[in-house]
Amino acid sequence: MSEREVLVEVSGVSKTYRDHVAVHALRDVSFTLDRGEFAAVVGPSGSGKTTLLNVIGALDVPDAGVIRIAGHELTATPRDQLADFRLRRLGFVFQAYNLFPVLTVLENLEFVAVLQGVKPADRRRRARELLEAVGLAELADKRPAELSGGEQQRVAVLRAIMTEPDLVLADEPTANLDSENAAILLDMMEQMNREKGITFLFSTHDPRVMERARKLIRLRDGRVE
Amino acid sequence: MRLFLAMAWRNVWRHRRRSVLTVMTIALGLAFNIFMRALGDGFHEQMVDNSVRAHIGHIQIHRAGYHDDPAITKTLPELDKIRSAIDALPGVRGASLRVLGDGLASSAENSAGVSIIGVDPEREPTVTTIHRAVVRGRYLERGRRKPCLIGERLAKTLQVDVGDSLVLLVQGADGSMGGEKYRVDGVFRSGAPELDRGVVYLLAEDAQELFVLPGRFTEAVILLDSSRRVDEAARILEEQLAGVEAEVLPWYVVEPYIQQFIELDDAFFYVIVLILFIVISVGILNTILMSVFERVREFGVMMSLGMKPRQVVRLVVMEAFLLGAVGVVFGGLLGSALTLYFEAVGMDFGAWAEGAAALGLTTTVTYPKLTAANLILSNSSVLLVVVLVALYPALHAARLEPVEAMRHV
Amino acid sequence: MRRREFAAILLGPLAVRVRGAAFPDAAELARRADRALRGKTQQGKCSMTVRRPEWERTLEMDYWAVTPDKTFILITAPAKERGTATLRLGTNMWIYLPRVERTIKIPPSLMLQPWMGSDFTNDDLVRESSLVNDYTHEIAGEIVEGGDACWRLVATPKPDAPVVWGKLILALRKSDALPRREEFYDEHGNLKKVMTFEEIRQAGDRNYPMRWRMKPVGKPGRETVLVYRRIVFDRPIPGRIFTLQNLKRRI
Repeated sequence: MSEREVLVEVSGVSKTYRDHVAVHALRDVSFTLDRGEFAAVVGPSGSGKTTLLNVIGALDVPDAGVIRIAGHELTATPRDQLADFRLRRLGFVFQAYNLFPVLTVLENLEFVAVLQGVKPADRRRRARELLEAVGLAELADKRPAELSGGEQQRVAVLRAIMTEPDLVLADEPTANLDSENAAILLDMMEQMNREKGITFLFSTHDPRVMERARKLIRLRDGRVE
Repeated sequence: MRLFLAMAWRNVWRHRRRSVLTVMTIALGLAFNIFMRALGDGFHEQMVDNSVRAHIGHIQIHRAGYHDDPAITKTLPELDKIRSAIDALPGVRGASLRVLGDGLASSAENSAGVSIIGVDPEREPTVTTIHRAVVRGRYLERGRRKPCLIGERLAKTLQVDVGDSLVLLVQGADGSMGGEKYRVDGVFRSGAPELDRGVVYLLAEDAQELFVLPGRFTEAVILLDSSRRVDEAARILEEQLAGVEAEVLPWYVVEPYIQQFIELDDAFFYVIVLILFIVISVGILNTILMSVFERVREFGVMMSLGMKPRQVVRLVVMEAFLLGAVGVVFGGLLGSALTLYFEAVGMDFGAWAEGAAALGLTTTVTYPKLTAANLILSNSSVLLVVVLVALYPALHAARLEPVEAMRHV
Repeated sequence: MRRREFAAILLGPLAVRVRGAAFPDAAELARRADRALRGKTQQGKCSMTVRRPEWERTLEMDYWAVTPDKTFILITAPAKERGTATLRLGTNMWIYLPRVERTIKIPPSLMLQPWMGSDFTNDDLVRESSLVNDYTHEIAGEIVEGGDACWRLVATPKPDAPVVWGKLILALRKSDALPRREEFYDEHGNLKKVMTFEEIRQAGDRNYPMRWRMKPVGKPGRETVLVYRRIVFDRPIPGRIFTLQNLKRRI
């Protein structure tokens, strides 16, 4: 078990979108996350969950406030270096379409490792280990189209953690799954959290998912409640 | 990197029919390009060859200044040095000395201004093919009394035929008036209008007597075994004859209009190729753009995961390159096969015989000629075009914002 | 003498008109020059020397001419050309070569070629008569040429005239209209040939330049000199001289 240290610091973060009208997606949001946390951002749709995950995930930049991850001040990092940060320190699981259809499951797992420059033998080995650890070894050479929805999401989680990021961000990962598959997915995420100490932050409005989180950050109209 | 290559390759075949069509477009375009270039090359080579083999040879040597201002008094200096320089030259298929002058040819019926060419009947056939173009009578032979060989059109103008006599009236190198009678031993049809209309061939020694040029010659003409060696051979001869007051002229200086025509023809060809490339480019652009737009969300995921924009560009360009490469392989094979077939069999442009004669061609059958330069240039330019065209969609993909891209439906 | 006085009385009034400076009538002057050089008939002997940087050659000839357009020339020396004869009738020209016993007609396309290798062209021999008819004339002043006071006559071809020159400028003696100098200009106005008339002496009933020198411009070492050894003017010449048969017979 890893020590409890603060991994993510969000302080005074605001973000406004200007479309036809100004939309205050985030207003002065502040919280912290410890390493090893299994946390969820919850709230109704439109509450700013996705925006919060995007700015923490270095996919977007807040208008105000500071975000630190593992001591690294994201908000002070220039835009063109954000991609590199994402590559080396973060993992992502999206609601759907996580996997590249032309690559096999194994190759999908290796994708980020290839971008990082990990040696082929090493990344191949790690990917197989991961699949075995969760009992999905037989899927190794299949294409995503041959997998069920639940299997695809689980493979997506494996890909997100394969390069051992500091933080995995999952935006509504169970939204397209039935209860059974949602539960299986959460089991796996918890397993990874427990065994490898990877910090998870996911967003959801699904109560079943909320139950499993150990910390909740409630958002309403862009503010933390 | 091998993963990206595999990804690019598989992306290409995601939409099999579309990619096959694009590959076919590229292949057909390239095959057409290769074949047309080969046809042009073959045609040009034939033109050069015809002219070279009909009269001018690959290289001519005269007294310095003869080409710009011909005169009967300007004969070859230091014949021995010239002879040995030619003997020492590698790759010579034939060489001959000529006496050149002008005069009036007169028959009982008519007179005409003519060029008079005195040749060695044994050496001249090693350079030119006029001896094969004799349609009536015979080629010049030593031992016959003052024979001459004239073109068919001249024979018609003067209304003479084999066995008739012709008087040549000239001004000799000493200023005197020379007039001599010759017997028409043969009539030739070369297909080249200037030769058929305006030339009288004599034995070199008869021409020397007529023009009062004992032992002298006006021109040395050389045929090489390959027209590609002309520049090198000319350079060697110039070096060998450095102290001699002679000019060494490659065929394209003697008859620049052939080279000019070839360059003009090439220019037209490049216009056609340009149009072809534009057409191919539109097809490729369409294909790649569609494949990029279909994958916007996927690019979003890639860049979210940390893929840099320039890596995205590389991926798209790689896909286009692979698509192009497949097209090039097939197109290259198709184009080569087509060309090699016609190179062996020949293409007959009989319907355009009149035009062909005007350009100095003696036959209407053309053999396209495949060259390494053609293949290399055609293939690489198609690939280059493909890659360049792909840059636009590739840059578009690279500029996507991951968050928005993933929201794309 | 008498003729001259008579001419002066006749021409006097004519000479006074136009241009203040008492210039003569240009067309009339041209006619006088033409008549001075020709007469009705002409026959005699002459020699033509052609000089080139590489060689020099002299032909001796007997000639007969009836103005305006009949000429018969027989070459008597040197040996190689002896017996060669040329006949000119109107705009046609033939040459006979005794060695091959052949009469050759000179085609129109070769009319600009040198006559017998000289600086005179075939066309030169044919054109003389047209100085009067094919040109318009203008007096452009006075000049001293070869020690003689001369009029400068500018002859410009008429629009449809079959003439190769763009312009001729002649220096004609005021006393008897004999030319001292003739300049030949091409259509672009470039001076191409200059003929000088030298050694004016009594020949028969008139003065005549006994040496004609034709020099092409810009070609050093080249000239043709025609020297008259004997001339008889206006004696009738039998018509049979100017026939193709005569070429072979040669008198």
